[in-house]
Amino acid sequence: MIAVVVNGVSYERAVEPRMLLADFLRYELGLTGTHVGCEQGVCGACTVIMNGDSVRACLCFAVQADGAEIETVEGLGTVDDLNPLQQAFQEHHALQCGFCTPGMLMTGVDLLRKYPLATDREIREGLSGNLCRCTGYEHIVRAIRSVVGRSVVGRSVAGHER
Amino acid sequence: MKPPAFEYLAPRTLEQAVAALGAEDAKILAGGQSLVPMLNFRLLAPSLLVDITRIPGLDNVDDWDGGLRIGALTRHHALETSPLVRDRFPVLHAAMAEVAHLAIRNRGTIGGSLCHGDPAAELPGMAVLLDAQLQTTQRTIPAAEFYDGTLSTVLGADEILTDIMLPALPPGTGWGFEEFARRSGDFALAAVGVLIGGEVRIVAIGANEKPIRLLNAEALFNDASDIDAVAEAAGKEVSPEGDLHGSAEYRRHLVKVLTRRALRAAWERTS
Amino acid sequence: MNVDARPKIIGAAVQRREDPRLLTGQGRFVDDINLPRMLHIAFCRSDHAHARVLEVDVAAAAAMPGVVAIFTGADVLGTFNPIRATSRMADYYATELPVLAHDKVRYVGEAVAAVVAESRYLAEDAAECIAVSYEPLGHAVDVQANAEPGGPLLHEDAGTNVIVSRSFQRGDADGAMADAAVRVGATFRMHRKTPAAMENRGYVADYDPGRRALTLHSTTQVPGIVRDALEEMLEIPGNRLHVMAPDMGGGFGGKASLYPEEALVCLLSRRLGRPVKWLSDRLEDLLTTTQAFDEIVEAELACDEGGHILGLRADCLGDVGAYSVYPWTAAMEPVQVVSFLPGPYRVSNYRARARAVATSKAPTGAYRGVGRPISAFVMERLMDMAAAKLGLDPLEMRRRNMVRADEFPYKSASGIVWDKCGFMECLESVTADYDALRRQQAAARAEGRWVGLGLASYAELTGLGSRIAVAPGMPVNTGTETATIRIDSTGAVTAHFGIASHGQGLETTLAQVIAEELGVRVEDVEVIHGSTQGLAHGTGTFASRSSVLAGGAAIITARAVREQVLKAAAHMFEADAGDLDAAGGEIFVTGTDRSMSFRQLAKALYSEMGRFPKALREQIELQATRMYDPYFGTTSPASHLAMVEVDPETYGVTILHYGVADDCGRVINPLIVDGQVHGGVAQGIGAALMEEVVHDGAGQILTASLMDYVLPTAVEIPSMSVHHVEEFLPDNVGGFRGMGEGGTIGAPAALANAVSDAVGEDINVLPMTPERLYCLLNRDEE
Repeated sequence: MIAVVVNGVSYERAVEPRMLLADFLRYELGLTGTHVGCEQGVCGACTVIMNGDSVRACLCFAVQADGAEIETVEGLGTVDDLNPLQQAFQEHHALQCGFCTPGMLMTGVDLLRKYPLATDREIREGLSGNLCRCTGYEHIVRAIRSVVGRSVVGRSVAGHER
Repeated sequence: MKPPAFEYLAPRTLEQAVAALGAEDAKILAGGQSLVPMLNFRLLAPSLLVDITRIPGLDNVDDWDGGLRIGALTRHHALETSPLVRDRFPVLHAAMAEVAHLAIRNRGTIGGSLCHGDPAAELPGMAVLLDAQLQTTQRTIPAAEFYDGTLSTVLGADEILTDIMLPALPPGTGWGFEEFARRSGDFALAAVGVLIGGEVRIVAIGANEKPIRLLNAEALFNDASDIDAVAEAAGKEVSPEGDLHGSAEYRRHLVKVLTRRALRAAWERTS
Repeated sequence: MNVDARPKIIGAAVQRREDPRLLTGQGRFVDDINLPRMLHIAFCRSDHAHARVLEVDVAAAAAMPGVVAIFTGADVLGTFNPIRATSRMADYYATELPVLAHDKVRYVGEAVAAVVAESRYLAEDAAECIAVSYEPLGHAVDVQANAEPGGPLLHEDAGTNVIVSRSFQRGDADGAMADAAVRVGATFRMHRKTPAAMENRGYVADYDPGRRALTLHSTTQVPGIVRDALEEMLEIPGNRLHVMAPDMGGGFGGKASLYPEEALVCLLSRRLGRPVKWLSDRLEDLLTTTQAFDEIVEAELACDEGGHILGLRADCLGDVGAYSVYPWTAAMEPVQVVSFLPGPYRVSNYRARARAVATSKAPTGAYRGVGRPISAFVMERLMDMAAAKLGLDPLEMRRRNMVRADEFPYKSASGIVWDKCGFMECLESVTADYDALRRQQAAARAEGRWVGLGLASYAELTGLGSRIAVAPGMPVNTGTETATIRIDSTGAVTAHFGIASHGQGLETTLAQVIAEELGVRVEDVEVIHGSTQGLAHGTGTFASRSSVLAGGAAIITARAVREQVLKAAAHMFEADAGDLDAAGGEIFVTGTDRSMSFRQLAKALYSEMGRFPKALREQIELQATRMYDPYFGTTSPASHLAMVEVDPETYGVTILHYGVADDCGRVINPLIVDGQVHGGVAQGIGAALMEEVVHDGAGQILTASLMDYVLPTAVEIPSMSVHHVEEFLPDNVGGFRGMGEGGTIGAPAALANAVSDAVGEDINVLPMTPERLYCLLNRDEE
């Protein structure tokens, strides 16, 4: 039996040790916003924030998350109340198919919390663990750039953080 | 790509962990950033994973007689951002920035990277370059003696790496770290770390079955005028294997180029 | 309010309607569909590239926990009608689509047996326990060896591995070559790519035994084509066969063919009476999703002393893998390479041959650009090689040969007709800073830096109409698009299309088009796509067709509905329909303050009894269905300009500048158009510098992970400058040109030329990896 808090909600579930955290979130908790693109630890689509750090949910077993606080894309904002980073993604057309987007957003949140992101180069390097096949990255970089240093960034960029 | 079934234990003490590792086909799980992909590919089928990350006290970075003692469970990101590392071992600080990506650095542990022992990874090379002493539950092993082949260490099946001790560098030590990879964050096609302090040390990464000091090349170095000759010797001293990202010849060439660049940088940084 | 005061919606940077759900994790992708009693498939796949299947022992696997059933090729044989990608083309052999291998396997990764189990984890456990014995049949990996007779045959019935052969001729290329002042030529090689959409393929089939009806949720760009094929295979009529593509994580052509697994989940759901899901993992994706861009082209170009092209010759050998994909056939890519080779230039003498050669690799299929990235790479290299020999600047070389405005419509050497568009305008626009960049280059070179500039110009046909098949001789009509638009009794507008948007933002752009034409707000329009319900016929989204065809259909259908709206409103206003207008969801009498909303009109018409006389009521229908057929298609040209720096020691390539000028006709949404160009160029950069599917001599794939198949990250892709030349398009209802693929077509050519300029050697092989540059520049040393 493991206990986790996901987007502020507590869950207790019995899981097989081998169940990947990504599968746990998607199939056990029904939080399908976290996407799985490779299970090879390369594409970054499954990135979630665990205890304040972005991690790949395909490289973590659910049992390892016992006791952890997890943030997923579902916790950032809602369709009627997008958080500033989500808004910036829409304004700058930083997504096309939307499959890598949850991972990009969660990585973006972690980058904005941890790094000054003074240059585009820093943003690009910070995003280099998240593959996007649609956008050529340019609009994603612009979207993140647009919220750097705004009062909404830092610890509160997630908006709905608990 | 789903991992095969295994049992899972998360002991709270080293003693419990060592005891658990007595089981046949047991493996240590720390950050899991190298192990889990191998499990997802079903390249491994351990009977038991012993998750050591719940053992307290193994993730500190502390002073060690002017050098540093680094707990094996320290995450890469903690090392990357540690002021102690930046001040005392700038070469390690520089190398950490090249390690994979933020999400991997957030989760991966120093001990895990060292014990996985990928020959193209930065940390094993840094351990050799910095003459690290590796403290296990049984003994202390010099980094240069830690690897006995590709992805293979001298650790026993129930032996756990607990601390990495980095001896202090002489004041004014110059350093250089140069890496070439196909993409940002990829494993190095080749990388070279250099220290010029009381002695010169040159370590090549991704150029042999394990990271090695280039002793022949080091012996040729007296001052900046030797840099080209040392680089030539470095290229000859390594024996890389080719793969689809780069032939042996090209990697050898890279070692030469990167050695020259790292030596120049180190020489300029000596004071 | 008058017509001129209406808000311009087409051309506005409207924010995407798809975004809120995708940004909040509320998208619904195939893997998000989990049905009660659903079973999961894992495959036992061949580890041989070419072998006879002697025995498949499933006994141990069948006894594993959670296993419901296991199927081999023999188990499903005879339970469906086999299907082939047929063509009217001569010298073509149509291979059968293998649902599960029986008898023999033809590439590593081909599915041999399917385990159906209660979870994917358990299915994989069992698949590992299936024992297959194979008899190796000899290597058939090398395209050049396979093109010669005598080697092992992949399809014995064909009698050859050359499953397509086609020639083109115009004028006398050989004669022109013989007399030419300058001749340049080489053997060019593009190495195999994979589309690598971030979402892997996946299918959920849900057979309803009570209704004898099948619903397939599929990651498909072509739901209409899949529906029609499944009707043939399964004999389920179209009214009980619903194929739907939910939100999709990219496609790029890799999801544009019918797949074996797609048919199999349907078969097995019907057989087991339960929903069945198969989701490709990344390993399977890299093994089995259709690959592309695998050609060897021997080509030669002849010019006079002034650099004017006299003749062009080419021989293209396409490595098409093990099967001819449905419905596009193995001809699509290699034939397209030689069809488009002459590019936007005047070439009066041309001779070319294209052959498609079967090899024991994953089948090739559509991938963004289809063949034309290779055409542009070869032709643009030849242009630079000729310019170098003549001492001409590459820009001047292109100016002298490009088809000019007064020459449209221009029939190209391969028979393609270029309609009026901005060939020269694109070239001049992208080179606006050319002299400055050349000066920067000269300064850098003076410092010993290896900096180079590369140009590429090309033209493609997009939005193909019914006159031109996407692949030669293909019997499937993709040249029409139907729209149904209706206003319901709440006044809301719903529009059905046969396209299947998967990142292109068509829910937004088509809503923009309809909103402007009908006179409503963008948010009033719900665009339904990716589903075979609601329309009699549709195909999908591929070949840069959706804006042109669906956009055109949207316009004519919206106009028909608008006519009905105004007719109804005329009765209510007691005014003449000619005095009415509609905009922003309101209908008004022009020049007055009298207006009503679409909602009021709909309620009055549908729900309020007695508002309309019977005779008039029976004439008014607030919906319409119209088909649009652009017949030929539209020309989409572009020019790219790249500046690169090559590290003279590590041979790493950095892109310093990247510019694109394209003519996509009337821009519907500039944000979306820019995004398409950025993404296309990024894939072209990958093709030019990084991406390569690698097999060993035994046909084992060495690039089975995203560590080894190297996709560009945010660091390798530069910021780009993109300029749109909006040339007016006379014979096209919306004035839209297709632009989904162009970025990928131009970038490999521009980068090959730029790297060549930087290092002073011909670049004739792509991707130009650091390893290849090292070998090229050190071949005489050491």
